Amino acid sequence: MNSGVNVNDPTVIAAFKSALVHQGIIALLIFAVLGFAWLTLRAWLPAAAQTGEQAEADGPAAVPAEPAWRQLLRIGFGLLWVFDGILQAQPKMAIGLPSQVIEPIAASSPSWVQHLVNWAGTTWSYHPMQAGASAVWIQVGIGIWLLAAPRGAWSRLAGLVSVCWGLVVWVFGESFGGVFAPGLTWLFGAPGAVLIYCVAGALIALPERTWHSPRLGRAILAGTGAFLVGMAVLQAWPGRGFWQGISHGQPGTLAGMTGAMAQTQQPGLLSAWIRAFTTFDEAHGFAVNLVAVAALALIGTAFLTGQRRLARPAVIAFTVLCLADWVLIEDFGFFGGLGTDPNSMIPFALLAISGYLALTPATVPAAAAASQPVTSAGWRERARPASLRHAAATASFSTVASAGALGLIILGAAPMAAAQANPVADPILAEAINGSSAPLDFPAPAFSLTDQHGRTVTLASLRGKVVLLTFLDDTCSVDCPLIAQEFRQAGQLLGDTQHVELVAINYNPLYTRVSYIQAFDRQEGLAAVRNWVYLTGARGQLEQVWRRYGAAPAEILPAGAMIGHGDYAFVIDQAGHLRRELGFDTGPGTEATKSSFAAELTDAARQLLGHP
Amino acid sequence: MNRAARPALVALALVSVLSAGCGSTASSGPGPAGEAPPGGTPFLATSLVTAAGTWAVAVMGGSVATHDNFWQLFVRPAGSTGWKLVTPPGVADNGGLVAAATGRSLITGIRPSQYLTYTPLALTRDGGHVWSPAGPLDAALANTPDALAAAPGTGHLLALLTTGAVKVAAPGYTRWSTLATRGMLAATPAGRRCGLTRLTAAAFSPLGMPLLAGTCSHRGTAGVFALTRGTWRLAGPALPASLAGRPIRVLSLTVAGNRETALLAAGTGRDTVLLGAWSARGGRWALSPSLPLGGAQVVSVSAGPSGAIGIVLNGRAGIALGGPGSSWHWLPFLPAGTQALALGPQAQVDALAAAGTTFTDWAWAPGSAAWAKTQTLHVPVQYGSSG
Repeated sequence: MNSGVNVNDPTVIAAFKSALVHQGIIALLIFAVLGFAWLTLRAWLPAAAQTGEQAEADGPAAVPAEPAWRQLLRIGFGLLWVFDGILQAQPKMAIGLPSQVIEPIAASSPSWVQHLVNWAGTTWSYHPMQAGASAVWIQVGIGIWLLAAPRGAWSRLAGLVSVCWGLVVWVFGESFGGVFAPGLTWLFGAPGAVLIYCVAGALIALPERTWHSPRLGRAILAGTGAFLVGMAVLQAWPGRGFWQGISHGQPGTLAGMTGAMAQTQQPGLLSAWIRAFTTFDEAHGFAVNLVAVAALALIGTAFLTGQRRLARPAVIAFTVLCLADWVLIEDFGFFGGLGTDPNSMIPFALLAISGYLALTPATVPAAAAASQPVTSAGWRERARPASLRHAAATASFSTVASAGALGLIILGAAPMAAAQANPVADPILAEAINGSSAPLDFPAPAFSLTDQHGRTVTLASLRGKVVLLTFLDDTCSVDCPLIAQEFRQAGQLLGDTQHVELVAINYNPLYTRVSYIQAFDRQEGLAAVRNWVYLTGARGQLEQVWRRYGAAPAEILPAGAMIGHGDYAFVIDQAGHLRRELGFDTGPGTEATKSSFAAELTDAARQLLGHP
Repeated sequence: MNRAARPALVALALVSVLSAGCGSTASSGPGPAGEAPPGGTPFLATSLVTAAGTWAVAVMGGSVATHDNFWQLFVRPAGSTGWKLVTPPGVADNGGLVAAATGRSLITGIRPSQYLTYTPLALTRDGGHVWSPAGPLDAALANTPDALAAAPGTGHLLALLTTGAVKVAAPGYTRWSTLATRGMLAATPAGRRCGLTRLTAAAFSPLGMPLLAGTCSHRGTAGVFALTRGTWRLAGPALPASLAGRPIRVLSLTVAGNRETALLAAGTGRDTVLLGAWSARGGRWALSPSLPLGGAQVVSVSAGPSGAIGIVLNGRAGIALGGPGSSWHWLPFLPAGTQALALGPQAQVDALAAAGTTFTDWAWAPGSAAWAKTQTLHVPVQYGSSG
C-alpha cells in the first residue's frame, strides 16, 4: 500500500493543501447557501417562522431537556471528531497514513486482517489527495453535526453516522484496534479509540424514552466494568512481558512501547516525561504492572456493581488513571505529524463519566409527561411543497447546522466513492517521483531494429501514429517489468490500437536475442497486445539508438548485478516529432505508482490524439 | 434493565469479551520468501569439478530482504591454485545461480528474482572469461543445486522447475519441452512404488539417459528414476534392511565421468543418517557406511572428482567422503562463513567462506589439524543495484 512517494514530497503536500482549500471553500459555500436559504424562507414566511421560534422558545418546557450524560457524550465526541478531522489535514497524512500508520498497525495482525486492511490502504494510496481530504471533511462534518444537534431525529442520526464511520476507521484504519494482534493491552489503547466513538455514537442514537432510566447508566458502567476486568486479566497474564521492566537485557513490553513513543517528534518536555516513565518502568516493571492490574480490576469491579456510592470514587479514579495513561504511556497520541486522534483514554474517561451521570435520571417536565402524543402527518402530507416550505421556515438553527454538517460529510464521501471506483492512480504520484516534463517539438531520432516476431521495424514505418517509446532491459528484475506494465495499462486506457503504438527498445547490451524479448513479453502479458512492439538488435545498433535518444549508456556491472540503465519514456507524435520526455523512474514500484505512470502516459497520448 | 439499555450493555459486553479473548493471537510475518531452499534441500552454494577446473557458487553481499544478496560464481582453473570471480554479467542474480557442466563448458541458470519470472541462461566455453546468452528457460528454475543438468555428448539440458516440472531442450535452449512433472512421475508404477512427494535433482546418466531424484513417502525406498525407452523406472540404490523403516530423501544427484553419485538422507530429526551411493554406467549401486547426523542439518553439498562428496553441516561442521569404498571423514571445525567445500585431488579439501564482499579460500590437507588461509578475494558487490 506504500505509494512509493516520500511523505514530505512538496508536490503532493501542495496538491493536498490545494484540495483542502478548494473543498474548504465549498464547505463554506454549503453553510452560506443553507443559511441564506433559511433566512430567506423565514423572511418570506414570517408567520411560520414565528411559530417555529415560539415552538423553539417553548421547547425546553414542552420536551424533556437533554440529560447531562448525553450532552457530555455528544459534545465530547463531537469535539473529538472535529479534532480528529483537523489532525487528518496534517500535510504528511495524504501519503503517510497508509504506509506509516495503517500498514505498521496491521503488520502484527493475522494475515486476513492484513489483506483486508492493505486493500483499503492501497485504495487510499491510489488517490491520496481525495482520500486524505475526504477523511478531513467526513470527520469534521460528523463532529459539527454532533455539536449542533442536541435533540430529535437529526441528533440520533448523527450518532448513527458516527457509529458507521467509526467502524470504517476501526476496521481499516486501526486494524480492528489491534484486538487480533499479540501484545494487546488497555494501557496502549485496546480495543481502539474509535470503537469507543462507536459506542458513544450508539448511545447518542438511543431514543429519548431511554434517556431517563438509571438502568442505562448501570448498563454503561457494567459494560465498561466487564471490559476493564477482562483487560486486567489480560494485563496480569504471565509470559506477555508486562511484569518485567527489563527482559533478557531488553526493555519489557511496556517499557519498550513507551521507549518507542518517546522517539515521536514532540515538545521536549513531553518526551522527557515519557522517558522518565520508561526508566521508572524499566526499574520497577513488576510494581507498575501490579498497579495497572489492581486498578483495572478494582475499578472494573466497582463499575460492575452499579452502585452510586462505589461508582463515584471509581469514576474519579478511572479518570485519573486515564489521564495518567494518556500523558505517560499513550503520549497524547497525536504528535509526530501522523497522529490521527488523541488515542483512547479521553474517550474512555468520557464514556465512564457519562455512565455515572446517567445513574441519576433526568427529570421529565410535567408538561412533557402530561402531553398527549402528537399524531404526525403522513409522508405524503409532509412532502407537499407547502409543508416543505413551512418545515424549512420553522427549522431551528441546529437543524440548519446539521444539514450543513451532512453536506460536509457528502462533500468528503462523494470524492472518496468516486476515487474508489477508479482503478487508475492519480498521476500526481508519478509527477511527485519524477517531476513534470517540458513540452518538446523536434524530429525523433530514427531507428531500424528487429521486433519480437523477427520483423524489421523503423520509426518511419510508425508514421501517422502516436508512439509511446521506452527502453527496457529484457532481463531486468525491477524497473523494466514495472514500466512494461505502465505501458500495457496505458494501452488499455487508450483502447486505440489503430492510432497508438507502444514501443520498447532493448536496453540490455548482452541479452539481445529475440528469444529474450519474447520471454519478457510473455512474462509481462504483452505477447498478445496488438500494438506492442519490443525491438532489439546487435549491441552496436542498440547503443546507437540509446545515444540518439540521449539515454544513458547501459552499464555492464560486475558481480551479479543487473545492467545499469536509466528509466525513460518518450511521446512521439503522428509526424514523427518528439513531443514529451517523461521521467519514468517508477520508484519502489508499488501498485499505486504503477497505474499513476500509466495515467500520465495516457494523458500525454490523448493530447496528441485530440481526445479529451 | 429497560429494553433500550439492554443493547448498549450487550454491545459493551461483546466488546469486552472480544477484546479480552482475542488478544493473544499469534501472527507470522512474511520472511524472505523464495530465497530459502525447500525444507531438507541443500543450500545453492556448492562446488563442482569439470575438465576446465573447479567451479564454486556462493552468496555474498547483504540482506535478502533488501535484495542485496548477490550470488557469485568462482573458478579455479585446472592446474591453478587461485580462484577468480567469473559471475556471468548482465542479469541480477539475487535469486541464485545453478551451474551444470558439460565437457569444458559450463552453463549457468540465473534463477529469477523480484519481477523476473523466467530463467536466463549463460554459457562459457573458456573457463568463465566470455559468457554467451543461451535460452532462456521460460520458467523459474528450482531452488536446488542440482536443478540443471547437461547431457554429455549431446549438450541437451534438463531443468527442474519450481513447479516440479522437468523440461528438456537441445543446444540453443530456446525450445523447451516437458519431460515430466512430479505428478506425472508419481502416477507411474515407479512413482507409486516410491510414493514420490517432491523432486530434488535432475541429471543425465553417463549414457545420456535422463535421471530424476526426489523424496519418497514409502519408507526404505530411494527415489532415483531413470527414463529408459520412454518409461520411467525406479533406479535408486537398494538400501540395507536397517534403513527399511526410514523415509529417504535424495539430497544430491550428480554425474561425473562414468559415475553417478547420490547423497541420501535416511530418517528424520536426530535419527537422520547420511549415505553416499555410486553407480557406474547405471550398474549396481555401491553404498557408503551410514553416518548418523545427530540432529545436524545439511547446509551444502559439493561434488568432487571420482565421486567424492563434501558436506557442510550447520554448527561449522564439515565432512567428506572420498568416493566408492571410502568412509566418512570429519573435517576440522570449519572457518567462519564457510558456505561450501571444494574437493581436489589427493583428498585435498578447501573451505570456501564468503561474507559481505570478501571471499576466502581455506585449504586443508589430510593429516593437518587446521585450515590454512590460501586466498582472499574482494568481490565488487553492487549494493542497492537490485532494490
